[in-house]
Amino acid sequence: MIYRYILRRLGISVLQLLGLVIAVFFLIRMLPADPVARLVGMNASPAAYAQAAHSLGLDQPILIQFLRYFGLGHPAHGLLEGYLGVSWVTNTPVLTEMGQMLPVTFQLLGLSFLVTLLIAVPVGIISARRPGGIVDKAVFAYGLFGGSQPEFWWGLLFVFVFFFKLGVAPAPLGLVDPMLDSPPTITGFILIDSLITGEFDVFVDVLYHLMLPVLTLVFILSGPIMKMVRQNMIRALQSDFILYGQAAGLSQGMITRYAFRAALAPSMTLVGILFGVMLGGAVLVESVFSLGGIGQYAVRSVLAFDYPAIQGVVLVITGLSLIIYLVLDILYAAIDPRVTHS
Amino acid sequence: MALWRNVCMPILGASLLSASIGVGTSQAAPSQLLILTEDVPAGLDIDGPSIAIPTTQEGMVQLLEPLIDYTPKGMNADGVVVPDFSRPRGRLLESWSYDPATLTWTLHLRHDVKSCAGNTFTADDVLYTWARAKSVSGAVPNAWFLLNMSSVANFSTAVFDKNPAVSGPARKLGDEITKVDDYTIKVKQAQPNPLFLVNMAVVISQGIYDKTDMLKHATPSDPWSHDYANNVTAPSFGPYCVSKWVKNDEMVFTANPNYYRGKAAINRVVMKRVPQAANRLVILRSGQAQVIQGMTAHQYDSLKSAKGVTVGGVYGNEGMFIVMNFKTKPFDNIKLRQAIADAIPYSRIIDVGYAGEAKQWKSVIPTTYPDYVASDDYNYDPDKAKQLLAEAGYPGGKGLEQYADAFKLTYVAEKEATLGPVVNAIRTALVPLGIPVTLNPMPETEYGDHQIVKKDLAFAINDQEKPIGVDAGYAMQLFFVSKEAGGLNNMENYANPEIDALWAKAKLETDVTKRNAELAQMQQILMRDVAWLPVVTFKTQWAYSDKLKGVAWVPDNSMRFYDLHY
Repeated sequence: MIYRYILRRLGISVLQLLGLVIAVFFLIRMLPADPVARLVGMNASPAAYAQAAHSLGLDQPILIQFLRYFGLGHPAHGLLEGYLGVSWVTNTPVLTEMGQMLPVTFQLLGLSFLVTLLIAVPVGIISARRPGGIVDKAVFAYGLFGGSQPEFWWGLLFVFVFFFKLGVAPAPLGLVDPMLDSPPTITGFILIDSLITGEFDVFVDVLYHLMLPVLTLVFILSGPIMKMVRQNMIRALQSDFILYGQAAGLSQGMITRYAFRAALAPSMTLVGILFGVMLGGAVLVESVFSLGGIGQYAVRSVLAFDYPAIQGVVLVITGLSLIIYLVLDILYAAIDPRVTHS
Repeated sequence: MALWRNVCMPILGASLLSASIGVGTSQAAPSQLLILTEDVPAGLDIDGPSIAIPTTQEGMVQLLEPLIDYTPKGMNADGVVVPDFSRPRGRLLESWSYDPATLTWTLHLRHDVKSCAGNTFTADDVLYTWARAKSVSGAVPNAWFLLNMSSVANFSTAVFDKNPAVSGPARKLGDEITKVDDYTIKVKQAQPNPLFLVNMAVVISQGIYDKTDMLKHATPSDPWSHDYANNVTAPSFGPYCVSKWVKNDEMVFTANPNYYRGKAAINRVVMKRVPQAANRLVILRSGQAQVIQGMTAHQYDSLKSAKGVTVGGVYGNEGMFIVMNFKTKPFDNIKLRQAIADAIPYSRIIDVGYAGEAKQWKSVIPTTYPDYVASDDYNYDPDKAKQLLAEAGYPGGKGLEQYADAFKLTYVAEKEATLGPVVNAIRTALVPLGIPVTLNPMPETEYGDHQIVKKDLAFAINDQEKPIGVDAGYAMQLFFVSKEAGGLNNMENYANPEIDALWAKAKLETDVTKRNAELAQMQQILMRDVAWLPVVTFKTQWAYSDKLKGVAWVPDNSMRFYDLHY
């Protein structure tokens, strides 16, 4: 049953991606500027312009451009083979560039969500156990406050206070001290690569440099997750099966565990959605802490009208989001079998 | 709890440990330097797609060695070394001579020069570089462009002909550039043109490649090694070599041990992208970085009192001007243009936009270039502006309301911090005169498209055009000569047969005195017609550790790491 469910979801995802590829390809070509201008600069003779347009393939009819992008034209090297083209700014394959950027974002988000969950889930549970108590009131206030804060502002504030004034945090210079030699790229994840190569000083330095960006994201993400856990826990604690458990004399710990399992599914959905959103949405935190992540890449590509890079970013982020939602749905189905039956 | 013990505690512990022992504080050793920039080079190919990006150019000039440059004149009041444009000096050239009878330059090349890869420099490297330029095989024909502007024979637009039978042979180097021996080259010009020598100093276009290394990385589909230059390095004979390059993040330069002028004093330079200007500022103040750039004038101003920091600058070739498009009514009216020129609050703009580090610009070429001629035609004089407005047919601005769309003052949105106060000052000055100015911020790429390709910006502020070839004629050909007469970036659609004719004469003029007189006359005409409305010339600035010495300015505005020392 679960396999059919997964296959159906995968089929839908492929169709969604296809629609997105077509929409993005044609929509970005409606942007109100010609990317060739950026290339030619002051040397904008008609001949130079034509040369630059030719080098980008923009001298071809739009349908031919699309077929080439898709991998159905000449040369037959395109999306169907997993080739996303070459950036018009750097002349580097888009896939290579994203291979460098995505691990940065994943490490930032991975650590941020881990710390957020470690804080927000227990606090949400405690808050639900005593509605109206001090913790609950604090969670309510913080949930409102944290959820409404601009992360870049807090990021800059943290840099000013912890780095510039107190000197206990590192300079916002990316993932690792630029004067340190980074380990050779194995997986692309510097935390893992430094452990594989035994460069523990680099491992520690990366954690040190991620301290403030993680703190910034945790500060922003904790609010909604705490509130979600709290509300779902309260709902679960009021349900009939918990009442039955209490009547049967189960311990408080067991009651909490059962209620938490019931509260887990909707909370997990929120975490998944937040993770998907933050893949591209962590751009401001990446910018404040000079982390060359995928959000920064997306913004740079849009500002430079770098069509292959824009298409690549949209496609990959959407693909990743679809995978996250699929995994969530599968987990949801595993937790609550009614999902697959329905 | 186990998760907390096994995962969180080590992370927290590591963070606290590193904070306490100071891991990761980027204090550069005496032979190292950390420079924070708004971006890092996106490519290093002279004909690559990122050649117009300033940080790309900054990376290239550390690697590529030019044939000539200019002898330093001394330090200005800020302690920045400035060049003497009247004294070109050989870099890869030991000497040169010109025979006007045959229009031939003889270039004598330097001996005992080695590249980063250890290859010896010879005439073959120069021939390779110019053959590559003529192949126009890159994304943009940048190197070809300056050789064409220098009137090198056969570097014509035939290379772009759609007929392969024409463009094919035109893209091959012929007898216009010949090797006499390993250290002598002859270059023929199609017509006399003093720009040849001037343009040889433009590193980002005429830097010389290491042929041996380039050929080593050529492939059948990329015989001119554009991929190598775009993604790995620009192999040359310059003072630095690339030792690490993570695009969009950082570039690390290591001193070329073979450099013929002696190994650089600073062995390792890390160019790190820090997109937030405020962060660049605090990191410099903390002492962890030694140089920052890309700040606004007010940010530089705020650093002048910071301990351990020096702010240095130079009035080089950067200026801000207003574009009024001759093809858009009512800007075809010269009197109206003159009225606007007299209504601009120059002093206020210098204060609000540039923290006092600017001067009123009184010509259309950079103030430091030879043959700059100042004009006192325009000053802030609202009464004169009103009178000129009436003479233009719009007394009190009456009648201009029908052109409200034309008076949308366009500027690059990304430069809001600097240009925002400037456009507001302009609007505040013009509206009371009856000129219906509104503001129109626009993304930089879109602005570039309208300026360079469509040429339809009606009324705009521009602070990014600077002719890096040090010649008044070159500057005026770029911006004011009509398209039909060879103009290239005539964004205001100015067409004046008088200017075209004067340039046609000056371009071929070998008598320096006569040429200077023609160039001066061109400037006077351009100012009379307000072809551009030059507003201010402002300082090119950097902020750096007060321990750092040797900062020098060159016309491409990129700092040379080789000049720096502690």
